[in-house]
Amino acid sequence: MRGEIRDISSGRGKDPATPRVGTPRRLAAIVVGDICGYSRLMELDEEETHARVKRIERDLIEPSITEHDGKLVKRTGDGFIAIFDSPVEAVRCGIVIQQSMIGRNAALPKSSWIEYRIGVNLGDVIIEPNDVFGDGVNIAARLEGIADPGQVYISGGIYEQIKHKLVCGYESLGDRKIKNITDPVRVYRVLPDPAAFNKARKRREHVLIISFCAILLALAGAGVWYMRAYPRGEIGNQASAPSAPPQETGNAGTRSAPAPAAKQARPEPAPAVTPVPPPPPAPPKPVIEPVMVPLPGGTFAMGSNDDISEKPVHQVTIKPFAISKYPVSVREWNACAAANACAFLVTGRDDIPVTDVSWTDAKQFVAWLAKETQKAFRLPSEAEWEYAARGGTQTKYWWGDQLQPGMANCKNCTDATAEQPLKLGSLKPNPFGLYDMGGGVNQWTEDCWHKNYQGAPQNGAPWVENDCVSHVIRSGSWKNDARYVRPASRDGYDTNVRYPTHGFRIAISS
Amino acid sequence: MRITGLIVLSAMLSTAPLAVHAQGKSAPKDAVLYFVWPQDKAVIKGGFWCRFGLRNMGVTHAGDNFQNSGHHHLLIDVNDPLDPKEPIPQDKSHLHFGAGQTEARIELPPGKHTLQLVLGDGAHYPFNPPIVSNKITVTIK
Repeated sequence: MRGEIRDISSGRGKDPATPRVGTPRRLAAIVVGDICGYSRLMELDEEETHARVKRIERDLIEPSITEHDGKLVKRTGDGFIAIFDSPVEAVRCGIVIQQSMIGRNAALPKSSWIEYRIGVNLGDVIIEPNDVFGDGVNIAARLEGIADPGQVYISGGIYEQIKHKLVCGYESLGDRKIKNITDPVRVYRVLPDPAAFNKARKRREHVLIISFCAILLALAGAGVWYMRAYPRGEIGNQASAPSAPPQETGNAGTRSAPAPAAKQARPEPAPAVTPVPPPPPAPPKPVIEPVMVPLPGGTFAMGSNDDISEKPVHQVTIKPFAISKYPVSVREWNACAAANACAFLVTGRDDIPVTDVSWTDAKQFVAWLAKETQKAFRLPSEAEWEYAARGGTQTKYWWGDQLQPGMANCKNCTDATAEQPLKLGSLKPNPFGLYDMGGGVNQWTEDCWHKNYQGAPQNGAPWVENDCVSHVIRSGSWKNDARYVRPASRDGYDTNVRYPTHGFRIAISS
Repeated sequence: MRITGLIVLSAMLSTAPLAVHAQGKSAPKDAVLYFVWPQDKAVIKGGFWCRFGLRNMGVTHAGDNFQNSGHHHLLIDVNDPLDPKEPIPQDKSHLHFGAGQTEARIELPPGKHTLQLVLGDGAHYPFNPPIVSNKITVTIK
């Protein structure tokens, strides 16, 4: 993975004062996870199981480890080993994985469930770039081995560290003798839900009943059920497995604008399996570039004192660049979708901004456009967005300090319908000639979300770290009130999650 | 007891799909959404980890449409009633946890605040009937 494991041993970005030679050892919370009955699942359907496991690793295991400041050390085919600085984070990560797996399994018959066993131990271990060694790892692996499917088992060492910090139920399973380890190890089972302490068994029965009913139901009313409930080609997803790529039919990848209910059950668009119907066999049309407005460089005061996230106000210098006159439209988006480069086609009006796009979706669009046009199109940085939105003003709104009708497409600001954003270019442009810089659709920027501007760059560059879980959205939407259309207003949202008011605009350096 | 549960559940499940994708997916009757932490009337110094509890349903990503699963939304100082026909709003008072998070670091200005959890389906709509937690009050010192 990124960087050397040694780098995180002393915390982030800190270099050990004295360089050490020899084997690096450190105290770490080791999490070992493994799929129960993997060979049985592989026997049932090798390719599908493999695809599902890969998807779970990509969508759940890896992000959960990163979110909890851990490090994936290695994959073991059907499992993983991760290390964490903090026992609390390690156990939280285990709980998150198990809870999420409940959701993923809920729609499937029990025979297709993928269930992890997870063991967590605290130990002094030897770290190598792609592996980790020591008793501590062996104990974690043994804990994993004795854990029930769907459970997290922890050692006494971990328990002592987290018992007053992590509000969970802990069920002591006593001291266990573990193979090749001299001293017995005290083992605890984690019950993520404290109220479940006495109900654990009962709850498992509930799960069994629910899954039993689900099977009965699936057998009984399958035909009508699917036709009525999933008219848009989600049958493949529901009937087989969450990880199976949607079975394509003619309109499987389409949806009406903006009708979030018609969205596919895919949280993270994967470029490898783009659910878009093949384009009609027409000669490829040249890509129409969005209208771009070149802006001069300059220095401006970014931020405001109206919200804690907008502080401190700081000077930022922007280099000349161009930004799209409007948010990206449904028409522009669909060209990308038709080329199989964007995740879904939108039906309905095409003169409104595209919505329900995640940051990852937006990045796919700019990557496609840049490739097609041979121009370095990109998302604007947060600083560029605010500079463009202010249009040279320093007032609360770009038109002044008071709300005025007809200036922004926001809640209670116009008499537009709430169903979808206004047609592009319906309202007045700002002094830079840009439309909908405030209101309309929320707009993704390149920057990772930071809760305020402490430590923000002053050169207009995007403020990013590797793999950040949420990115900055700007502009407010037609469903937000007037506070959100201020050019300084900012918020963050999960990188891979779509929401019906989220769109974007594009930029290019001059 | 178990038989009754089974009948109720299968009846519920068999009617459920008809309502799917009209807004408001149905959810298990015994689903419970609650705060693991903080407790109602807690007095807290500074920022805190808010932990979300969900019984008899699973947590999944936004975009996933598996039965009996959803993702968390935390409503801070929201007094407007929830509109079951609309996606759960996205703003500074309606925090979304569409990546399947079951906890969040929350920082609020000093004073009294209300917190409430709402479970959303794959497209951010509330379930029908809505799966919501008790509205709790916390005081930030």
